Parts: sequence; C-alpha cells; structure tokens
Amino acid sequence: MINKTCLKVEIAGIKLKNPVMTASGTFGYGQEYAPFIDLNRLGAMILKGITLKPKMGNPPPRIIETPSGMLNAIGLQNVGVEVLVKEKLPYLKKFNTPVIINISGDTIEEYVELAQKLGEVSKEMGIAGLEVNISCPNVKKGGMVWGTDAKATYKIVSSIRKTTSLPLVVKLTPNVTDIKTIAQAAEEAGADALSLINTLVGMVVDIDSRKPKLANISGGLSGPAVKPVALWLVWQVFQTVNIPVIGIGGIIKIEDALEFIIAGAQAIEIGTANFLNPKVTIEIIEGIQKYLIEKNIKDINELVGSMKI
Amino acid sequence: MSAILNIKVKILSRKEVAPNIYLIKLKAPEVAQEALPGQFIHIKCSKDNYPLLRRPLSIHRIDKEKGEIHILFQVVGEGTKLLSQRVIGDDLDIMGPTGNGFNIYPESRKIIIIGGGIGVAPLLALCEESKRQGKEVRVLIGAQKKELVIGEENFRKLGAKVDVATNDGSYKYKGLVTDLLERIIKEGWLADQVFACGPKLKLKKVVEISLDAHIDCQISLEERMACGIGACLGCVCKIKTKNKKENKVKYEFKRVCVDGPIFEGSEVVWDD
Repeated sequence: MINKTCLKVEIAGIKLKNPVMTASGTFGYGQEYAPFIDLNRLGAMILKGITLKPKMGNPPPRIIETPSGMLNAIGLQNVGVEVLVKEKLPYLKKFNTPVIINISGDTIEEYVELAQKLGEVSKEMGIAGLEVNISCPNVKKGGMVWGTDAKATYKIVSSIRKTTSLPLVVKLTPNVTDIKTIAQAAEEAGADALSLINTLVGMVVDIDSRKPKLANISGGLSGPAVKPVALWLVWQVFQTVNIPVIGIGGIIKIEDALEFIIAGAQAIEIGTANFLNPKVTIEIIEGIQKYLIEKNIKDINELVGSMKI
Repeated sequence: MSAILNIKVKILSRKEVAPNIYLIKLKAPEVAQEALPGQFIHIKCSKDNYPLLRRPLSIHRIDKEKGEIHILFQVVGEGTKLLSQRVIGDDLDIMGPTGNGFNIYPESRKIIIIGGGIGVAPLLALCEESKRQGKEVRVLIGAQKKELVIGEENFRKLGAKVDVATNDGSYKYKGLVTDLLERIIKEGWLADQVFACGPKLKLKKVVEISLDAHIDCQISLEERMACGIGACLGCVCKIKTKNKKENKVKYEFKRVCVDGPIFEGSEVVWDD
C-alpha cells in the first residue's frame, strides 16, 4: 500500500497541482467561491466567459431545473475584458492556482483582439492560458457557430493561434454530427488541448401558458443528465487526437470524475455541481487522492485513458 | 453585508401552518446573529443530489437570543415538497444569510408592509425590526382565501395594525391587497416607506400606487436561482439606472441573489 500519490498533471503546458478545474460560467470570477474553499487547492480556475466589450446577456428567466440537470441561457453576460483585467484578475494574483480565461466573440476579429489583449497582460496579471469558447449555445452570433463546422473551427483557432503564444484550450460543443472531425480541426489549427463538452441544446415548455420556460426559448443542458453523453464524446475524442482532453459534463461526485479520467480525460472541469455544493471541487480532489491510494496507483497519469475494452 | 456561510443546521420544529404552507425553525446562531430582514437562505432540500439545485427561501423570523431562524414556505414543487418532509432533528445544509435586506431609513416614521400570499415570509422579520426601531407600522395581507391568510396574529402581536384582503371575500375585505393600499393612502395615512413581497403583478401595482403617492417603495423579488452567491448570473432581473451626469437611462441585469433580493420599486423594469 502506498501513502503518497502524485496528482500533478500538465495540460497545454500548464502545470496543475491536480486535475480538478472549475468550468467557465459556474465559478464567476473566482472570488465568489473564496468564502467556501481555499482557491489555492484547485488545479486551475476557468473564469466566466469574457468578451471584448461588456455583455448584457439574455432576459430572464435564464435557468430552469430539469430531471437531473438544468438548462441555462445566460447569454454570456460579462463585465468585458477591460474590467476583467482591472478589477477581477488582481484579486486572483495572490493564489498560486493557474487562471485560465474563457474567451468569446461575435467575429473572428473579436476573438483575435481579445486573445491579443490578454496575451499582452498575461505575465503581469497571471493568466496561464485561454479556453476558446466555440460552443456557447445561447448567443445569436459567434458561439456555437464556430464549433459546429470543422472549417470554421480550423479558421478561428488558427487565427487565434497566430496572435498568441498562450496555451490554447478549445472548448467543444456536443451539438454536432461528428465531434471527431471538429476535434481534429482544432488540433490541426494549433490547439494545445481540448475541453468537452459544453452544454446540450434543450427546451422546456410551460403547459399552462404554452410558452417556453426560458425567455431565450432554448438553453444549454448541464448536470448529471449529460454525463453519459459527455463521457462517450470524451472517449471518442481521446482516441482521435494527440493533445490532452479535459472532461466536462455532469461531474457531481468523485466517481464521476474518475470515470472521465479513465475514459481519457487528463483533467476535468466541475460546473453545475458547484451550485449545489460550493465545496465540491475540494471534495473531489480529496476523493481522487483516496481512490489512487486505495488502488495503489502512484501517479494519476497512469489512470488517464486506462479504460479496458 | 456579512459573508455567506455554508453550514449544517438542526431542524428544531416543523409545522404545517396553513394548507401546504410550512414553518420550520432552525438552530443557526451564526446566521441569526448576522441576518437582516429581507435576506434569505439557500437550502439543499434533500440529503442526496436530487433535486439538483438548492431552493432560496426568505428568513421569516430572526431570533438572535435563541440563535434561531424561522423559514416559512409554500410547497410549490419537488424541492419544497422534499423540504416539507424533513423531520425534527435532521441536519439541513444551508447557505446564507444571503442578499441585501430591506433598508429602513432612520428618518422614516410610518411604514406600510404589504404581503401577497406566501410573500409575507420575509415581512415578519421586517415588521419586528421596524417596531424595534420605533416605527409606526401598518401591515396589509392579501391571500386567495381565508385559510391562506398567514401571520395575521404574529404581526399584530408585534404592535402593527393589520388589514387583510381575500380574493374570494371569505375573510375581511373582498378584493386585492392593493385596494387596501390605495384606501389607506387616500384616507391620509401617509407612510414614509412601503415594503412589499408577493406575486410580480401585485408588486408592480404596489410600486405604481406608491410612486404615484410619492412614497419610497422597496420590493423583494424572486427568480429561479442556481448558485445563490452571485457567480452564475442565472437569477437576474432588469434594472434601470439613471446616469445623472449624462441624464441617460441605462438598463442592466442585476442578480437577485446578491444585488437583491430587495430592489427599489422605481428601478425595476417590468417586461411582459
């Protein structure tokens, strides 16, 4: 029996203490969770998706609970890159946890300008990398449009790649016919890692008013309901590409995280579960450690993609 | 505003005070010590991961001496149903106290408190605090029917004058609680502040009547909520703010959980 294990992983050149990251949009700008957990213990923090200019977001109602999940249609409400850099990032500098900025835009030019701006201040503000959101289902322009077409994915990722040397994680949507072709396009365009899945598009109808329950009509499904879908897609992408895969989708307990890692995820992102339990990230880190000790596995990397078929 | 805690607290008692309406008392000294009238707690309703999201419920009474908080809620869906089935002695996982709370101005002398249906939930704590500060308080309660009139005696015990309206006329005045508000304003009982909680349409009317009479009005809003700590931006409402320099009206979505749940009636935008 061993009593020490290594939880360290490396994603896109970013060294993580452990494989547990926070999913964009569920963790605010980090500070919101500081009363509940020690942010130093996280593998990495991925902040709320940012755009060049502040964004107002969609009208309410924006969320609705569904069986074992929830739909959201926030519409990328955010403070804009200027406020992010001036007011949000300084707080996070005192923690030794890598900060990854999730970026979005309406046009390629906006993504590029955003990546450039963040690249310029990355050293000073402690930005470890970018997660390129080409998978948001809740905005009219941009968002998922890029992530549902292999050519568009290649075009946008390669454009961002040319502007910045920051590690690039590309976040993929499950709302596609064949995720492998999108994953390949992102890899060929220079992505350092892929994260998946973003939410699945869905809808809920109020039978009394006969109106959709979300003002945006559709929203993105997340939570335990999507986990089997996410696992399957992670497994497929893991077999297709040579860059690290980050697993996201309905992770709410330790076993869920382990499933993703076994299916090929080098790291995982925890999203919706933060809402139910603000300490869930830490509980999962501790749980993974315990599992490794119990199974006599010295290094988490031995577990990654170790699924037996 | 104090920090939001995430703690487990004991259920001291549980009672169905009206059909489908429950009063739960919790031993929560840390929360009781810091809580303000109008704030809420975000409750994990069951012991497992179903339902997936917590439920935000107003703090009904804050008993600092005993270190207790009381929660009054109506069973409206799965979450509140499961919560109503929790038993005495159970540990309840809560987050709170959350939100801004009502703002009682020191200079206010007369206060009107209006509750529609289960909207009375946060108002007992407010009434208690208002009386403690020596305000003259009138409480207007509106309900569908007699059995659903909640808390009338409790408000009265605090020394407030209480009027009740029921939609079907089964108890006291037949009609809307907003009729009562119009009436007491017309009678010349001039309040310095109006506070209200209840269904959206009722709140909208309360705001209209209050602003017409030039009375400052604060309302407690409700919205479907996920994180309850200001991170997810799920629970927003539309707020208009006036930029005095440019004299321009600006609209933004503010979070009910941490920017509210109490908003100035004049700043809330009532779309559809």
